Amino acid sequence: MKLLTCPMNGPRNIDEFQSFGPVRARPDPNATADRDWSRHLFRAENRKGIVIEWWRHVPSNYFFLAERDLVSNEVIRTFDVSELPERA
Amino acid sequence: MAAGTATRVYPFMPGGAADGTRLISGAVVLSDLTDKPRFGLKGGGSAAWLAAQGIPLPAVNRIGEHRGMRVLRLGNEDILLLAEGVEATLAEIKNGWQAAPAPKGYSSWREEGWAWMRLSGARLAEAMSSLCALDLRPQKFGADDIAQTRVGHIEAVTFRSPTGFDILFDITASAYFARAVAAVAGHADQHRG
Repeated sequence: MKLLTCPMNGPRNIDEFQSFGPVRARPDPNATADRDWSRHLFRAENRKGIVIEWWRHVPSNYFFLAERDLVSNEVIRTFDVSELPERA
Repeated sequence: MAAGTATRVYPFMPGGAADGTRLISGAVVLSDLTDKPRFGLKGGGSAAWLAAQGIPLPAVNRIGEHRGMRVLRLGNEDILLLAEGVEATLAEIKNGWQAAPAPKGYSSWREEGWAWMRLSGARLAEAMSSLCALDLRPQKFGADDIAQTRVGHIEAVTFRSPTGFDILFDITASAYFARAVAAVAGHADQHRG
């Protein structure tokens, strides 16, 4: 069984979680060319490295963030939204 | 039913969606508390409003007590009051909330949206360990702990009650849940010989 540690509920079966993809900047709709919008909406990044992703613990409907290594699939840490550097 | 009349139909009441579903009893007992009073608040202002009424709020995923009610903190701004046997106290709080100006959170309709069932019996621990993956032994999971997890493969909130475990879950899964508990109890019986 694969486990993920929810910052609010503790370690749980991965089955209890839903992934919402990487944290991304939202382009300004008034200043973004169609080509860039299209890229933002329809293209997914496929790089190596560390990504910060949105996750939701479904039974408690709690959204949090996870830092994950895209090569090894190792979850480095999980944390509450309030700890996101650009929001702190 | 005449238009404009609101009748509460709980899962195991005649005419309800799960009418005819059997609640298991014996070594594992499942009872339905869905018609017992409760009130949930959610969203910004919920915690502050309840605290202003003198209701002590526990930490997230812990249970507090106030005038005979159990106070379940399901999130920072997600609180549920269970008022088994103290309906009048809860009614007082609900009336106060309805009359109060915002911000006061919003009603999460737990009395309509969630079924409330209680699992007990001599083989409780065995049944619960088949239904839920978490370690719920007394030394790991105390009387004031809440687990928001899966029970019988559905999203549920579970915690200890004096006779066993209480389980709150989506009311539309009531019949499924009763069958899942019955299956687990039957399975345990079979393997006991």
